[in-house]
Amino acid sequence: MMTITRPQVEAELLKFVGADAYIHSEATSFVFVRNFKIKLTHAYIAGEGPFRAALRFDGHGWLRMEALTHYEVDGNSRLLLAGYDDRGRMNVALHLGKEPFAE
Amino acid sequence: MNKFDQAPVRKLLAVFAHPDDESFICGGTLAKYASEGVDITLVSATRGEMGRRMGNPPYLNRETMAAAREMELRQACASLGIRHLIFLNIRDKTVEFTDADRLTARIEDLIHQVDPDVVLTFHETLGGHPDHCAIGKATTAALRGTGHRGALYFITFGDAMERPERFGFTRGDITKVDVHAHLEAKLAAFRAHRCQTEIDEWVWLPDQEAMTRFGRHEYFMKGNREAAARLRHDLF
Repeated sequence: MMTITRPQVEAELLKFVGADAYIHSEATSFVFVRNFKIKLTHAYIAGEGPFRAALRFDGHGWLRMEALTHYEVDGNSRLLLAGYDDRGRMNVALHLGKEPFAE
Repeated sequence: MNKFDQAPVRKLLAVFAHPDDESFICGGTLAKYASEGVDITLVSATRGEMGRRMGNPPYLNRETMAAAREMELRQACASLGIRHLIFLNIRDKTVEFTDADRLTARIEDLIHQVDPDVVLTFHETLGGHPDHCAIGKATTAALRGTGHRGALYFITFGDAMERPERFGFTRGDITKVDVHAHLEAKLAAFRAHRCQTEIDEWVWLPDQEAMTRFGRHEYFMKGNREAAARLRHDLF
């Protein structure tokens, strides 16, 4: 995982816009969703670090997350965004893939 | 051959929820019995892939965590002397939502295969985490369902059960195992679970200093009549 730079992540997010995507999203220990399938219409990233990201989908959907610090495009062309604290604990994650994530 | 050589191999089946349960909670006991020749089978319901600790500094993400923690658990098993490792491939944090009858049946099959003298698992209400309680409940039901003669024990945290009366139990309900001779193996197992323990500075202190954090004993709650009939300082 690399620290987020906004232009790079923005470019990676755009690769998913206009098509179906599978989403993994979680916030600390309180909630996770895995393999939500959406038709992504817009994707945004904002802030100076930590960063905020938002997805618009299916004509009426919002997903917004904050506290994102790191990203990676993995070997399966999936975009993985995550927010870590200063001791390596993950607070949030937002993953986008063209195929379902492992159950 | 002397009598010792002819003694049948003793077998222990441990059914837990996450990689590291075996090391953090009862690693000393597992190392002790492994060193005495007990054949240990560890079942982990999940790969702990929903853990929050991603290394310090972080080097894992949610998608790489399952494989990393599986590898760490294999290394911890080697440190403790656990010979057999089985995953039930349930997603971390979802054990309580899997079909309970099917889970129980899978564990019954394992009990038939392993034919254990001792079964370790979590107490179904005192386990502390929903995955712990769920796997404990299924394992308890499975052992009862098979009618197997194995002694059932519930693992407990730290030295809480040094004073069982605080939790409504008596000393007779507890088995207290002396693990002081096996703390090096326990420490090695803690370190094998690197992504989970890097955040704890004491684990990485010089060995002798780190081991002062471990208690001399580990405690188990007796879970069935077979366990109740056994000595207070030995699971077998």
